[in-house]
This record gives sequence, structure tokens and C-alpha cells, in this order.
Amino acid sequence: MDAAERELLEEALRKTMTTSAPGSGLDAALADLGWAQMLAEEPDTAVPLVFRLLGETGAQAAVLNDVVLHAAGRPVGATLPLPYTGGTWVEWARDGFPGGGALDPGLPLRPVGPGSAVPLAGGRRALGWWLVGTGRAMLTLAREHVLDRHQFGRPLASFQALRHRLAETYVALEGAEAVLAAAGDDTGSLLAKAAAGRAALTAARHCQQALGGIGFTAEHALHRHVRRALVLDGLLGSTRELTREAGGLLLSEPRAPRLVDL
Amino acid sequence: MKVGEFRQGLRAWLAANDLTPDDGPAPEGDHGLDAQVARLARVRRALWAAGWMRYGWPLEVGGLGGPSVLRAVLGEEVASRDLAEPGLWSMVEVLVPTLIDYAPPALAAEMVPRLLGGEEQWCQGFSEPGSGSDLASLSTRAVLDGDAWVVTGQKVWTSLAQYAARCVLLARTGGPGHGGISAFFVDMDAPGITVRPLRTMHGVDEFAEVFFDEVRVPATRLLGAPGDGWRLAMDLLPHERSTCFWHRVAHLYSRLDRLLADGCEPDADALGAVWLDLHTVRCRSAATQQALADGGRLGPETSVDKILLAGAEQRLFDTARDLLPGSVELARDGAWRTEYLYSRAATIYGGTAEIQRNIVARRLLDLGKE
Repeated sequence: MDAAERELLEEALRKTMTTSAPGSGLDAALADLGWAQMLAEEPDTAVPLVFRLLGETGAQAAVLNDVVLHAAGRPVGATLPLPYTGGTWVEWARDGFPGGGALDPGLPLRPVGPGSAVPLAGGRRALGWWLVGTGRAMLTLAREHVLDRHQFGRPLASFQALRHRLAETYVALEGAEAVLAAAGDDTGSLLAKAAAGRAALTAARHCQQALGGIGFTAEHALHRHVRRALVLDGLLGSTRELTREAGGLLLSEPRAPRLVDL
Repeated sequence: MKVGEFRQGLRAWLAANDLTPDDGPAPEGDHGLDAQVARLARVRRALWAAGWMRYGWPLEVGGLGGPSVLRAVLGEEVASRDLAEPGLWSMVEVLVPTLIDYAPPALAAEMVPRLLGGEEQWCQGFSEPGSGSDLASLSTRAVLDGDAWVVTGQKVWTSLAQYAARCVLLARTGGPGHGGISAFFVDMDAPGITVRPLRTMHGVDEFAEVFFDEVRVPATRLLGAPGDGWRLAMDLLPHERSTCFWHRVAHLYSRLDRLLADGCEPDADALGAVWLDLHTVRCRSAATQQALADGGRLGPETSVDKILLAGAEQRLFDTARDLLPGSVELARDGAWRTEYLYSRAATIYGGTAEIQRNIVARRLLDLGKE
């Protein structure tokens, strides 16, 4: 896929995500755009693009199932139990399960019994891109707010304390994207999800603060992204769990692995 | 030459030619800066004579050509073996491109091999007592008098000035602000220059104050045109933040290895967080070098690399202090103490953490003026 084709695809995906009904509606629309074929033939382009855009647009589809199923060599379009933080398991439902009752009512995560072990690296990378997209969405909202809102006769954006919070957010997101782009093997994917989760949580904290009172209301969009970041962080291993797992791995090695090279 | 081929050849050569000098491992923790600088010169001489030090530099200055990424690989192999402290090594990466871009070609061709070949050490006279973060307010003056510029003023934080044969100096030749600054290539043995090393809190006196008292600098030693000094200083940053950062990251990985080898407390959370930070800055730095190799020009986005690197460095040494209790405070062998203390400066030198965040906010997030 060349740069122009990629741009066209991004445009089509973004439009689809902002106009389709979340969940099964978007699943059907993505299927029409050739999601299954993209996943089979160009996963390195399709997965980062689709999942980052899910984050940026705040949309939702059950495509994580497909990524994990595909990596396990099983047919896509179904569901399977996915490990959640704290040793629990969830299913990302495709049957119209309404969600609700959980922190992010927009995600149809149904608690289920333990499933069998499946390769998680691909799913972790996909969720990493989703988390970075969610972080970018929060940063965009916070940036617009600090430029628009005036206090003490100046835009909020002119106050260094807020500028540095947003700079911190940007740096975390850029760092996480570099780790995601370089991730290939299991360990790289584990670190990538940890970096992305950490960046999204950093974004949630700083952007919430920069948005002040309005960001705490249900009428502003921020809270939906904050909820999503918190819930997705726990799926396939939270930042905290994955960081600890990385540390355990380090303790079993004679030398810290250098996962990327020039 | 391809990167993989270069790395393989270099590793084989380093295995066959042990550059670890007779004085044992790097004398950290004491005040053995003389030994460190001497070792640096020896290592550079050997690598120059064997040709490794010439790759990635243009033929006009004695190089053998090839992509600049070869220099990143060389520095990584040197740092990983503790053959030279990457901070001292980095002067080459910063000053050689500056000479190539701004000096008259004959001057660059004459001088650059002396630095690369370990014959000379150079320094960089930028900061002043009254001009730290606000570098553009610097007040050292250069006034044209016949065929020479007469320089008067004071520099500070000039690394290795006491060992340096030359100095890339910023001085004011015009009015206030960026546009009034010019750059010079000054011989450090010129009459009127006084160097006074600074005592620092980590015990290695690598920084100095340099006093200029009516020092005559030949007009042929102007770098670029009058008023080009600020542009030169800004052009030098991307060099520091690509190759040099890669060397520093390699050095920090070697310290993480040492932390594990020294039998630290097995705190998986803390160690995982250190590795995550180091891995993040390594991935970012690799992407930055790729952008450079693809012909991109580096600009404000390197502030992201700088912020990630300083954060990773401080977390690593904070964690070492936590997981090797007493190693910083009481140990007779001062290795961790020296590097722990030095890491406190990571958010200060080369543009403070606050300046970097100002750049990100203004230039990358487009938040307008403060």
C-alpha cells in the first residue's frame, strides 16, 4: 500500500467510524471495507490504522477478537475469552450485549469464565494503538479548550503550568508510538502495551486537569475517553502488570535485552 | 558500508584489539578526569588509525564516507565496553559537523582530523554566567580590529576547556538578540585566555570557566558570516540529539546491566519501569536516526528525545539508589555515587527540562506564546 492509498483508506475508515452505529453497526461497515482481508494481507498497516482511529474517534467495534483469533490461527468473526487485569476474563461480545454496569458503558465486555491461553502479542499491539488514539483524542480536546478559554484576561494556553502538562502528555504519546512502531516479538509487544497504557493514563490525568470543570461534566466528551483508557488499560494486561512482568523477565536475564537496533 | 557489516567488523576488531588500557576499568568515583581524557584520546587514536573513526565522515575532512548512522554504531560499541564516557566522546559528534558546515573548507580539512584522530581535544564556549537558558542574551563581545576580532568576556560550563586546544565560541558582534551573535574557532593557547575548572557536586571537574581578556582571533577564524552564530548553535543541536543520544542510551543500558549484576533487590515493578523508560527512548532515538538517514532535517521534535532521555536517566539512577541501598551514600567504591550525582544534571544541561517543555508547547503543540 503506498502513501496515497493509505491516506485514502484512513479517510474512509475515519468517515465510517464517525458515521456508523458503534458496535455491530461499525463491525458490519468495517467488514464491507474489507477488514478481514486487510487483517490477513496487510496487518502491519491495517491494525495500527484501524485501532488508532478507534481511539481518536471514540468509536467501538469488536475487531480485537479478530486480531487475537487471527494470531491464534482461528477463523475471524467469532469471540473468545480474553484475559483481564486481576486474573479475570472477559468476552468482547458481538451479540448486542449492552455493556452497562461497568466503567465504560460503551464497551460490550461480558465477564466470563477462564479461557485457554492464546498468543497475545498482536492483541496487545492493537490495544496499544487504540490507547494512543484515545490519548490523542484527549489531548486534542484539552488543546482546544486551553486555546479558547480565557481567565485573568489571557488564554489558558498562555499559562506555563498548563503548557507543561500538555507537553508532558505529547511526549508520553510520542514515546509510546515509537515503541509500538518498533514492536515485533512478544516482549516488544508487552512493553508497547505498557508504554501505550501509561501514555493514555498520563493523557487522562493532565487533560482532565487542563479541562477543569467542563471536563468533569457528562456533557463534555472527555469523560468517555477517560473511561475507555481506564478499561482498555486492563485488557490483556494492565500497565502495572506488564511493567512488573517486564521486570521479572529482566531478573531472569544475564543482561537487559536490547530489542531495537540501528 | 552497510550497518550490519560495519558492526560485525568493528566487533571483531574490538575483540582482537583490546582498547581497555592498563589502568584497568574507567576510574570513576575518584577525580581521575586526567586519566579519562587521556584514555579517550588513546581510544580515538587507535580507532582512527584502524579506520573505524573515519566512517560516516566526508572525504574532505579525512573521512571514509558512508551514512552517519555508522558513527552511532561506533559510539554504542565504545560506550557498551566502557572504553570512553559518552559525554566526553560526544564533543566530536557536536563539533565536527559544525566545522564541516561553517568553517572555510581548508580550515575544516586541516583541523577535523586532529579531533577525530585523538590528537586534540576541543571545547564549546556557549553559556555565560548571565546567559544560561536565555543563551541569546550572551554578552561576550567580539570587535573587529584590522585583520582580527578582539574578544572580551566570560564563558562557563565549558566542558573540558582545561584540556582543549580549540574552542567553538559564541560572541556578540552586533546588536542585542539572536541576530547579533557570531561564532569563532579560537586557539585556546592565544594570549588573554584563562581557564579555571569548576568543582562540581559529583567530584569530576569536567566543566570550566573560561575568561577572555582582549583575545585576538584572526578574521579567518570566523565561522560562517557575521550574525550566523545563533543558526550555528541551533544546527548543532540535532547532531547532539541523534548520534550522541544513541551513545548515551547504550551507556545507560550498560548501567542497567551493572545494576542487575551487582545483585540489586529483585523489585520487578521498579526494574520494569526502568527498562520501559530505556526501551522507549531507544525506540524513539532509533526513529530519529532513521528520519535523519532518510534525509529529514531535525528540529523541535528532538526535544521529545531529550525529555525522554533525561527522565530515563534519572529513573535509572534513582532506582539504583533504592535497590542497592547504601551504594550511593556509603560505598567506598564511588561508582554509583558519581553517576547518581551526575544524573541530577540530566534535566539541566543541554537545555533544561523546562525549556524543552516550552519548545514542545510552542512549536509542536502550537499553543501560541506564553
